[in-house]
Amino acid sequence: MSSTLSAAWARRLNTLQLVLVGIFLLAPVVWMVLASFKQSSDVIAYPPTLLFTPTIENYRALIETTPFLSYAINSIIVTVGSTTLGIVFGVPAAFVISWTRVSWPAVLTLAARMVPGALFLLPWYILFRNLGMIGSYWPLILSHAVITMPIVIWILLPYFDGIPRSIYEAAQVDGCSVTRVLWRIALPLVGSGVAIAAILAFVFSWNFFLFVLVLSTSDTKTMIAASFNFVGEGSTRWGVLMAVATLIALPPLMLAMVVQRWLVAGLTLGAVKG
Amino acid sequence: MASLSRAASAQVIADDAPRLNPHSFQLAALSAPAVLFTFAMIAFPFCYAIWLGFHSFSATGHSRFVGLDNYRKLIGDIEFWNGLYVTFALYFLGLALQIAGGIYLAILLFNAKRLSGFMRSLFISPILLPSAVAGMMWIIILDPSIGLANYLLSLVGLPPSEWIASPVWVIPTIALIDTWHWTPYVALIVLGGLQSLPQNVFEAAQIDGASPARTFWRITLPLLLPTIVTATVLRSVDLLRFFDIIYIMTQGGPGNASNTLNVYGFKIGFEYFNIGYASALMLTLSTIVLGVVLTLNRLRKAVAW
Repeated sequence: MSSTLSAAWARRLNTLQLVLVGIFLLAPVVWMVLASFKQSSDVIAYPPTLLFTPTIENYRALIETTPFLSYAINSIIVTVGSTTLGIVFGVPAAFVISWTRVSWPAVLTLAARMVPGALFLLPWYILFRNLGMIGSYWPLILSHAVITMPIVIWILLPYFDGIPRSIYEAAQVDGCSVTRVLWRIALPLVGSGVAIAAILAFVFSWNFFLFVLVLSTSDTKTMIAASFNFVGEGSTRWGVLMAVATLIALPPLMLAMVVQRWLVAGLTLGAVKG
Repeated sequence: MASLSRAASAQVIADDAPRLNPHSFQLAALSAPAVLFTFAMIAFPFCYAIWLGFHSFSATGHSRFVGLDNYRKLIGDIEFWNGLYVTFALYFLGLALQIAGGIYLAILLFNAKRLSGFMRSLFISPILLPSAVAGMMWIIILDPSIGLANYLLSLVGLPPSEWIASPVWVIPTIALIDTWHWTPYVALIVLGGLQSLPQNVFEAAQIDGASPARTFWRITLPLLLPTIVTATVLRSVDLLRFFDIIYIMTQGGPGNASNTLNVYGFKIGFEYFNIGYASALMLTLSTIVLGVVLTLNRLRKAVAW
């Protein structure tokens, strides 16, 4: 009797702790979103206030007084471009790696995750400049494909590995070429994997800060790269700064909810099974 | 004729030798874009960076071979040693907080058997935020004069803190922000490990009357060690290259109190345009990261069961 009683209390205690940890994890995000809807006098009010008249003034100011919309368009171009490139390069590569069981190329693509990004940025910057590509979207898309391609490869590897070899062999006996096996047989079977990989690639490309910081110019600046400038001006316009932060955070928050079960796999790339 | 080649390819498949596969040309063609891309964007730039590290560049862009001069300069550079100290202070502090917090949260989540997908995603939402956004967000929370953090301190009767404006507190504060950001990630990895543990061990411990604390220290934790080391490897790689949040929030300051090696190297390369020296520094940092990862991998083999 007492053991079931204490079990119930243990469960309540567990829930209480979860709620407290949850508040610690979520409060800053909630605070950011709230601040983005505050008037400037409410943002700098002390003591900080939870009760205020919401306004969309910050978002309006953002669009009217800064080139924010073009930053947003640049972000979408770079993220969609690098995700597409990651899929186009990564899907056939994952298929071949799974087929041949030669895995060193997959490991090599991870090198960029181990090494400080600036190590690559210096040579990239020199090369892109010498090729006259600085100022275009290509340096941004190509550098972000370095992030997206390994995600696509590592997410898809278990999917391709899961296809029974007998299916491939039967297709080959029927005279199917490898390319046709990939297009007609393997790809339809791993469709959901491609979707998950695409979403994860999108989120990680969208969130990446360092490469766009250096490789973008005033015409190709993405939201993330511009956030650094907003911080510089932000001390006077905190509501606007929080509006920027909220808008940047929105796409990854929404997309990642869809794929949250695979999030760990996307972050660890083969180091653990999600 | 057709049937003959079909029989031949069937024969090759039966041998199960991929290298003799008549389709190897197509396989190569399929993987060619990814392989070429990897060489162009990763392998070649890496070798180029090694070359840069042995050179010095004049203002006109002419390169001169200087041997190990850049590395010699590194040893005498007081900012490098400061960066090394800051990097490892942040690394050990952040890692300890995240691993402990991650294990704690994982156990809480594990014990709450009924947790909806929505609740779960609330707990992991910090992971999804771009680090740049995390930095922006914490700037206003930690503001010394009007921030929420100091207000909460005042509510419990503590004196206000300067947070990131203080040379003493900047690294603990950034470690705390990174802990907020990545503890859910560690928790998810550890939770995966918890769920794969053999349950009969715990039942046996319960039957033998072991206290929950004893069960945790003597059974759960040792069994979880391989998972914990994996999480440690993954967090080490990021923590040793700490950049985004510092660059957004302090740019290495106040003074050089948060000037990690990655931030310092970035400044040398892209603010002072000292390309050769920056490459040497980045390669040194890469070597440090690799050394830590290899050491931890040995540890992982040692604790495997």
